[in-house]
Amino acid sequence: MSDAPVAVATFDGVSTTLPTPSSAFSRFARRQGWTVGVAVLFALMLVWRMSQVPRFGNFEIATITVGTMSVAFLAMGQSIVIISGGIDLSAGAMMVFANCLSALWMQDQGYAACLGIAVAVLAITVTLAAVIGAVITVSGVPDIIVTLAASFMLAGFALFVIGGPGGGTARQFQRLVAGGLDFYWPSVLWTVGALALVWFPLRRSRFGLSLYAFGSDRKSAFLSGVSIARTRILSYALSGLFTGFAGLVITAYTGGGQPRSSIGTTATLNSVAAAVLGGVALTGGVGGLIGPVLAALCLTMIPQLMVGLGWDPSNAETARGVIIILVVLVAGLLQARRRSS
Amino acid sequence: MNGALLTTSAVAKSFGTVVALRGVDLAVAPGEVHALLGANGAGKSTMVKILTGVLRADSGAIEIAGRPVEMRRPADARRFGLAPVFQDPAMVPDLTVADNLRLTGTDPRTIGQRLSAMDLDGLDLDEQARDIPLPFLRMLDLARAMSADPQLLLLDEITAALPPDLSERVFAVMQEWRSRNRSVLFISHRLAEVREHCDMCTVLRDGRSVASFVPREGGEAQIVSTMLGEAANAVREQARERVRAVRVEDRPILEARSVGAGRQLDDVSLSVSPGEVLGIVALEGQGQELLFDVLSGNRQPDRGDIAVDGRVVKAGHPFDVIRKGIVLVPADRINALLPQRSIRENVAAPLFNRVARWGPIRGRVERQRVAEAVDRLSIDTRAAAQVRRLSGGNQQKVTIARWLAPGLRVMLLFDPTRGIDVGTKHQVYDLVRALAEEGAAVVMFTSELREVGLVCDRAAVLHGGRVVAELPATASESTLLTAAHGLEVDEAPTPSAVGARHE
Repeated sequence: MSDAPVAVATFDGVSTTLPTPSSAFSRFARRQGWTVGVAVLFALMLVWRMSQVPRFGNFEIATITVGTMSVAFLAMGQSIVIISGGIDLSAGAMMVFANCLSALWMQDQGYAACLGIAVAVLAITVTLAAVIGAVITVSGVPDIIVTLAASFMLAGFALFVIGGPGGGTARQFQRLVAGGLDFYWPSVLWTVGALALVWFPLRRSRFGLSLYAFGSDRKSAFLSGVSIARTRILSYALSGLFTGFAGLVITAYTGGGQPRSSIGTTATLNSVAAAVLGGVALTGGVGGLIGPVLAALCLTMIPQLMVGLGWDPSNAETARGVIIILVVLVAGLLQARRRSS
Repeated sequence: MNGALLTTSAVAKSFGTVVALRGVDLAVAPGEVHALLGANGAGKSTMVKILTGVLRADSGAIEIAGRPVEMRRPADARRFGLAPVFQDPAMVPDLTVADNLRLTGTDPRTIGQRLSAMDLDGLDLDEQARDIPLPFLRMLDLARAMSADPQLLLLDEITAALPPDLSERVFAVMQEWRSRNRSVLFISHRLAEVREHCDMCTVLRDGRSVASFVPREGGEAQIVSTMLGEAANAVREQARERVRAVRVEDRPILEARSVGAGRQLDDVSLSVSPGEVLGIVALEGQGQELLFDVLSGNRQPDRGDIAVDGRVVKAGHPFDVIRKGIVLVPADRINALLPQRSIRENVAAPLFNRVARWGPIRGRVERQRVAEAVDRLSIDTRAAAQVRRLSGGNQQKVTIARWLAPGLRVMLLFDPTRGIDVGTKHQVYDLVRALAEEGAAVVMFTSELREVGLVCDRAAVLHGGRVVAELPATASESTLLTAAHGLEVDEAPTPSAVGARHE
């Protein structure tokens, strides 16, 4: 900022020069660079994976897309909250809760009933998430504490509605939401559809701008007339929609409910990892949802690639950690160079 | 007032025990450019926040065009036809300018005309706000405020960050608003601008509106004397006596040599010797915060050097400077203390108060030292268990007491008496004088001009990131205030004065 080309006039008659606008390329690199980078990383992994398996067909694609779907949706929800300056540690537990509740209600139900139940479950997760957002707004307790407490409560709810693994759903519902191991289109369409029909219109709206504004600089946002309470509550509600859907995906994928709380904890951490790897700054105000979705795909592929190399799958977790640090480090260095140049 | 566009009556606001506004009456007529003036702490910024819905008044009434209004949030102010340009840019850094405009419901296309009227067509609205230099952000803020076509434009220190040619464009806007029979409320530290461009001004002092008059008639002199009021001159005798008594040693302990940092600190040279209290006088935002950051080793200067005992110091951390016996008592007391811990721990915590280098702290020695410090400052120990429960004055005494130990050579005090009661203020003054008599040097920024006469030996006046005058402690408050506004002063400066520069 300090070395921007402004001739600060000292005497009358000297005119202040306008800042030179940045070129279209540098602007694109700055705003979309990270997403492009993650896309390239994913493409490289995909090519590598294709070289590992002799016949790369529908089954291989499905293991990637269907396997990623719940993490991708969770990462989208998490990213929305982080962009608006918060963090949602209850996302994974919310997903497990939605999974258990839908599996309980959908057991032995027909296709139409399952669709109705799915909508009802989404309504419940949206409401619960909005309540969490409202508690944060009203109490002034930091996000991290309220959502951590909420994650314990939601894990408890999940165990309460379904004591152990169980429940069920209709076969058509499974095909509709998760597709199958030879049928990957539904998983791709749902993910792309959520981005295209929910996120992109919203991002351009006043609410979407408020999300970014609030996460970027609370004071400026407040002075610009952004309603703090509404922005917060809506960001959590929206996150609840995505995490609720992630729960339905698990129901469809596994055909039942599994109330083990460690699933939720791991899923929360994965969603934060995907958000950060996808270019969402933990300080808020920066990033989008495409990056996190691509990052979720990368995170799913790492163990597959390790297995393809004949490594012990347990090393995959180590590799995942190393890759996250490397990517964020390199991207951070590139950004620092831009700032100083 | 009949026909006034904006009227406030008896607006009052307190923050806890600190009274910011006692009663402000303001009347802005249609077609009038009205200045709101006051020295530091007079209540200007609180008043602006109330008028724009950022804060709510405790009592009093605000009327717009004769109708009482209640403003709860910034959006309300806009609805009532009042558009503010805030002192800090209200643009969200991570959004593009166009998105920032959409955020406030401004159509980015309509602002184009405003910008070209101000000869700023070249600004690219798709640039991120963080990449746009500050002066242009202010102009964009102004264009945004204007595009709502408000009855009243509220410009809070807008010219402070602007070069002269951009300031001229702001004045042109003020003229346009006047000619359309709309009004402007203009807040500025630059009295020449006020005299030149304002039809009327209202002066605040101690949270009260004390006078409204036409600034062109009385000029800067009337404005300054109204800001100060009657009380000012009693402390000068005391100061005169002291200046004669104190023998200032020649060799300076701490020197700033042409120090510059960031946008606000341009070129500051000053020095302080043992036994001397140097006052720093400045209006808000003239670089004093940065100066203290640099002096205390909290930040490296971008230009120039800091020297201790004549040797240049490159401080990487406040620790390096503290080791040389130079300590900072910052403005934010709670930030400097461990609020949940006891007085004893707070006083004992700083490194150079250390009782033992390694191993467990020797309780008896520590207790004794703390007791001495507490005694010396007569700190009220009734709430000793947790510092955060102490009154502001007692907290301030603890922040000072922490540093009272052998080895102290320079104490940097940033506005040490803000928000504390008169009795405690005098204890702080006595302590500062006592430190100087023991041979320490003190650099003290003060927002209360009378403190220069009460405690200091010399004052350096900062304006626009430069030392514009060095004045003896006997300088009158109006001289100090005039110099702080960057204007010429008559009183003869001390021999060591650094050349005042013209803008």
